[in-house]
Amino acid sequence: MRRKLAIVPERCSGCRVCEIACAVHNQGVNNPKKARIRVTAIYPHPVVRMPVVCSQCKDAKCMAACPTDAIFSKDGVVQITDDECIGCHACVDACPFGAMYIHPDYDVPLKCDICGNSDQPQCAKMCPTGAITFIPEHVFGQAHRLNNVLSYAHMKEIEYMEKGEPKKLHYADNNAADREESGGAK
Amino acid sequence: MKEYKGGYFGKILHVNMDDGSTRIESIDDDYVEKYVGGRGFAIKLLWDHLKKTGKIDPLAAESMLVVAPGPLTGVYLPSSGKNSFAAISPATGIYGDSSMGGGFGVELRQAGYDAVAITGKTSELSYLFIDDDVIKIVPCPELAGKGNLETEGRIRDNLGDHSLRVASIGIAGENLVRFACVTSEWSRNAGRTGIGAVMGSKNLKAIVVRGHKDMPVADLEKVIEISEKAYHELGSHYMMGHWQRVGLMGVIDYANELGILPTHNFRDTHWEKAHMINADVMMSKGHKIGNTGCFGCPMCCGNINIVKEGKWAGTVTEGPEYETAAMLGSNVGVDDFASVLRANHLCDDFGVDTISMGNLIAAVIEGYEKDLLTLDDLDGKPVKWGGDERIMELIEQTAKCESIGATIALGAKGMLARWPQLKPLILHVKGLEQSAYDCRGASSMALAYGTSDIGAHHTRAWTVGKELEAGADWTNKDRVDLVIYHQHIRSLFDMFGVCRLPWIELGFHEDFYAELYSAVTGKEFGLEPLLKASQNLYDMTRAINVALGVKRKDDFPPDRTFVPIHTGPLAGKVCDKKEYDEMLGLYYKTRGWDEEGKPGNFAI
Repeated sequence: MRRKLAIVPERCSGCRVCEIACAVHNQGVNNPKKARIRVTAIYPHPVVRMPVVCSQCKDAKCMAACPTDAIFSKDGVVQITDDECIGCHACVDACPFGAMYIHPDYDVPLKCDICGNSDQPQCAKMCPTGAITFIPEHVFGQAHRLNNVLSYAHMKEIEYMEKGEPKKLHYADNNAADREESGGAK
Repeated sequence: MKEYKGGYFGKILHVNMDDGSTRIESIDDDYVEKYVGGRGFAIKLLWDHLKKTGKIDPLAAESMLVVAPGPLTGVYLPSSGKNSFAAISPATGIYGDSSMGGGFGVELRQAGYDAVAITGKTSELSYLFIDDDVIKIVPCPELAGKGNLETEGRIRDNLGDHSLRVASIGIAGENLVRFACVTSEWSRNAGRTGIGAVMGSKNLKAIVVRGHKDMPVADLEKVIEISEKAYHELGSHYMMGHWQRVGLMGVIDYANELGILPTHNFRDTHWEKAHMINADVMMSKGHKIGNTGCFGCPMCCGNINIVKEGKWAGTVTEGPEYETAAMLGSNVGVDDFASVLRANHLCDDFGVDTISMGNLIAAVIEGYEKDLLTLDDLDGKPVKWGGDERIMELIEQTAKCESIGATIALGAKGMLARWPQLKPLILHVKGLEQSAYDCRGASSMALAYGTSDIGAHHTRAWTVGKELEAGADWTNKDRVDLVIYHQHIRSLFDMFGVCRLPWIELGFHEDFYAELYSAVTGKEFGLEPLLKASQNLYDMTRAINVALGVKRKDDFPPDRTFVPIHTGPLAGKVCDKKEYDEMLGLYYKTRGWDEEGKPGNFAI
């Protein structure tokens, strides 16, 4: 079963632990500018923070753009052969997500290879808020599916406090649908 | 540098704004051993500068502004995003510093500098661009009068790089408001002691930094080992979820229950309406939309809040945290959380310190209530507890130095010069307005405010919780020892460039930092020599302050500390002036200072 890095931007605090963890483990230096994942923060309109990292595309634009075929895919991980790379950065420009990075110390772009196709990439392991998850491929999109289901079902919501903590109760009111069908509530 | 294999670039950048000239000062092992970094380097730089210039106006062109991240700033360890700004404070006239979280200090280190010292003044409003090894002064008259939010965005856009870091001043800094902040990442503030006004006096709208360098670390394997254990410990701490959820907003209920929540200009210390400005309101009314964390910090104590409806609809702010919610909430009688958010937003954008702002507005309200100020003094517009619209107006007038705001903008000292009748009502030490913890129930906190080297600020020594939780059996010796220990250990965090919160809030051990510092520098350290360095620096700031006129009489907490609390859990509590004086004497003696608080070994 293949797994993918999946980002939940709503949970990101912008702390950049992912960047520094990536850099120390993959490049062996204490330098967040050498990370293969970066947090972009936009404020105040709109307020959003989001780590940007390679999606390991099946039909990878970076691979297609590479003039020397230096980029290849193995076991679902898109990687660069350093020796073949000529440093033209066409791949960086081609990536629709901006998920490849350039640092002046390197000719070869920085690109996520899931920590050498590991089963525990450092960014996901170290993220303190769960904004970076490492999930089976078939689970990808699950959050959107659930959101879609929830919005389709016209969910109702009640807010209440429990032991000082705010809680919400969500429910789909089946009777309401029946009432609508029979021409509105009586 | 020889013995230090990491932690330092060995370079301090000096910039003269007069002509844009720069100079690199190399530092050696001895320098590092004595001053450690961050706040320590700042103190040494200001000390040397002061010896050259003598006592000068803090807002004069030749004054010095120091920006100093620490040797641990940006290192792979929890909460390493801190950076100190220091100068002779225009609010107090003595040593002043304030630290800022976020990523600015990390970027400055990556540009390859251990500190930056800025002197001089440009003829035209400009920003300083530190672009790795290239230093430029860039005129930016188009940013005059712009708020922090717009300034940071426009600089990033103009330079076409979203990843650089900006520390800017708002309108308040340009107008030399004595408690103007330096602001980065739109709402991370070095808020206290008016560093923003020092920038304004140099026509320095912003410091922009871009750096790519590796941060020197002697034993990275060891750092990874220690830090990941630390991240794991913090992550599994039972309070971690609470910190991520509400951050420092949780302190409102804590302070209210203890009876130390400043209410109505510190007249009361408990407020029956505190539940209207607390963490529950933030969470349950749908204000909070996200967390922010400084570099490397799992606690992400920053709250991003919005106002969806009502007269302040459309307000977005990063904050409040406890100090802001208390000073712009209970202390001015505002019981509407949306108004607190609005005030927070205005202060961030204008670039004024929320602690000082809330303090001085409260003094004006109480002064008017007690007929010490007339309607004429208030430009014909009354102001009352909880009068949020007038309070917003006062914040704006202060930032713009208009009408009554021009007087408030002068800070505690300036206000007292114009309105001496407000003396009992303005809570300040040495000209710095008091933070949001009442100290009458715990006289160690009164001592902490009185002897803090920058004025009445809480982060040098926060002992109020400890003393109140411990009960009533403390002797003056207990108090003095705890205050001194805090003043050293907490200063050490500012020297390292890390946040104190994992230590004070999540029970993180001090020794961890010594161990990490050893791994980063490649030189074995216990905590002792580091605390000794911190003590030396405390003596140095004291020597600076003594040279600038501070005497024993200036080490007393605000007048209100000696007036009993009337209401709440600590009703009847008061600090006795004679006892305080004795405690202060013991404090001097323990530190080895003389009767006037003059340190023996240092002369300037």
